[in-house]
Amino acid sequence: MIPIGPVIRLYHIVKSYGDRDALRDVSVTVDKGEMVYITGPSGAGKSTLLKLLYGAELPSSGKMLIGGVDVSKLDRHSLPTLRRNMGVVFQDFKLLPRRTVGQNVAMALEVIGAAEEQVRRRVPAVLNIVGLRGREDDAAGVLSGGEKQRVAIARAIVNDPPILLADEPTGNVDGAMAVEVMEILQAINLRGTTVLVATHDVGLMDRFPYRRLRLVDGKLVAGAAPRARA
Amino acid sequence: MIGVVRRAARGIREHLYLFFVATGVVAAALVLLGTFALVVVNLQGLVAGWQQDVHVSAYFQPSLGVEDWAEAKSAIAGRVEVDAVSLVSPEEAAAWMTERMPEVSEVVGELGPSALPASLEITLRAEHRGAEAVDAFAESLSASGRFAEVDYGREWVGRAGSFLELLGMLGVALGVIIAVAALFLVGNTINLVVLARRDELEILRLVGATDGYILGPFVVEGVAQGLLGALAALGCLQAVHRGLLVQLDDILPLAFGAESLHFLPAGLVLALGLGGVLIGALPAWVAGRRFLARLP
Ligand SMILES: Nc1ncnc2c1ncn2[C@@H]1O[C@H](COP(=O)(O)OP(=O)(O)O)[C@@H](O)[C@H]1O
Ligand SMILES: [Mg+2]
Repeated sequence: MIPIGPVIRLYHIVKSYGDRDALRDVSVTVDKGEMVYITGPSGAGKSTLLKLLYGAELPSSGKMLIGGVDVSKLDRHSLPTLRRNMGVVFQDFKLLPRRTVGQNVAMALEVIGAAEEQVRRRVPAVLNIVGLRGREDDAAGVLSGGEKQRVAIARAIVNDPPILLADEPTGNVDGAMAVEVMEILQAINLRGTTVLVATHDVGLMDRFPYRRLRLVDGKLVAGAAPRARA
Repeated sequence: MIGVVRRAARGIREHLYLFFVATGVVAAALVLLGTFALVVVNLQGLVAGWQQDVHVSAYFQPSLGVEDWAEAKSAIAGRVEVDAVSLVSPEEAAAWMTERMPEVSEVVGELGPSALPASLEITLRAEHRGAEAVDAFAESLSASGRFAEVDYGREWVGRAGSFLELLGMLGVALGVIIAVAALFLVGNTINLVVLARRDELEILRLVGATDGYILGPFVVEGVAQGLLGALAALGCLQAVHRGLLVQLDDILPLAFGAESLHFLPAGLVLALGLGGVLIGALPAWVAGRRFLARLP
């Protein structure tokens, strides 16, 4: 699904909710293997942009290519395919607290019909990547915020998607733990995954410097193209 | 396939209380339906018993004589509807009257032995005992001109038939009402299940589950609810049936003319099971789909 070169291209994307425009004429290119911030004040349209990318919302107008495939008018039946090629991480983790760490991570493999043997191999491997080796059987509900976010990241990458989206991944994680989460995202990016992180944490962005797509009031004001071409 | 069942089992375990509430609703609805079906089935048996007693009495015109009686008897005996025919001579009729109704015996005696008309007592074959069949048969006898009067307790046959018909229609109407009510109740319970599992469904959707993958366990759970509910309902109905048998042991043969109360025939038991599966699974499927449609 993912060719070399641009992996995400948005052309003149508009997203309106009633008469309120959450995104206005946004055109963006993200290259394969890039790590990019989507930044801007609260209400600027960061989450909306990510929602369009993982197909939770459809654009009101404009064109959107992911891996060369036009997803601007994605139908219900294609949504699972899109989601299987994309890991998504949220501020509120979206874990099932009563299930174990291992079961939470395994969900993403089970839906694609992975064999049990594959689940047994992959789950510990990704938990190792996010620094939770040996924690499979802990209940997800009792973990700290930082640990929960790492479980969510493990679930997002367990089937090796080419793209990882993170919406304020450090929003509910404090200080040192936030740095740890960023380090994990960075490590995942270094393994070749394209990573988009929505955040307004300037400190973190300064510490982990990547291209910043800056949204203000739904308009893209900076960072539309990859650095090499900007 | 195994995966769906396993996920359904996990869903049931995680929301055991709601599962049993839904199962209980299915069971209650089926007990209501089953009780009504039991009543109808047994009343049908009862009416069938009455219909066995239906026989036609045809009283000869006074102008006819012994040969005419014999000829009419053999002609009628040859008809397909007829099971048996017997001739009741005026003397036999008088004797019967005198025996059964002593208070009129004096009058009968005064009038002489041939005061009562000769008659034919006709028993019809089982398949011709329906109200309409008996009507038609009696009509044909009257039309032959041989008989002064044809008598067959038309009221009984007609009333029993229309009573059964009414019961049947009532049964269908009641069944539909109960089924619809049960569908809504189970639907509401399943909506609670969906609500309790919304996080899980949202996550499944997020990690790329298809609609079928998400709905599958719901439907399996619904089928399980239906089967379990049907089993419980059949258990209850059996218990009620046995209890009644014991309680009514003495009066049953008198009241019903039958040896005992019948339980539901196999066809209805099967229908009850299928009804349970439908009441369990259909709302699960609908509620699941409705939720999925709203999911981002
Ligand atoms: N479902 C929605 N219905 C109506 N308005 C929405 C909806 N989602 C987002 N918005 C509006 O769109 C704008 C952008 O929201 P969002 O993308 O969540 O901002 P951010 O993530 O940058 O804080 C906000 O004004 C918000 O109120
Ligand atoms: Mg947001």
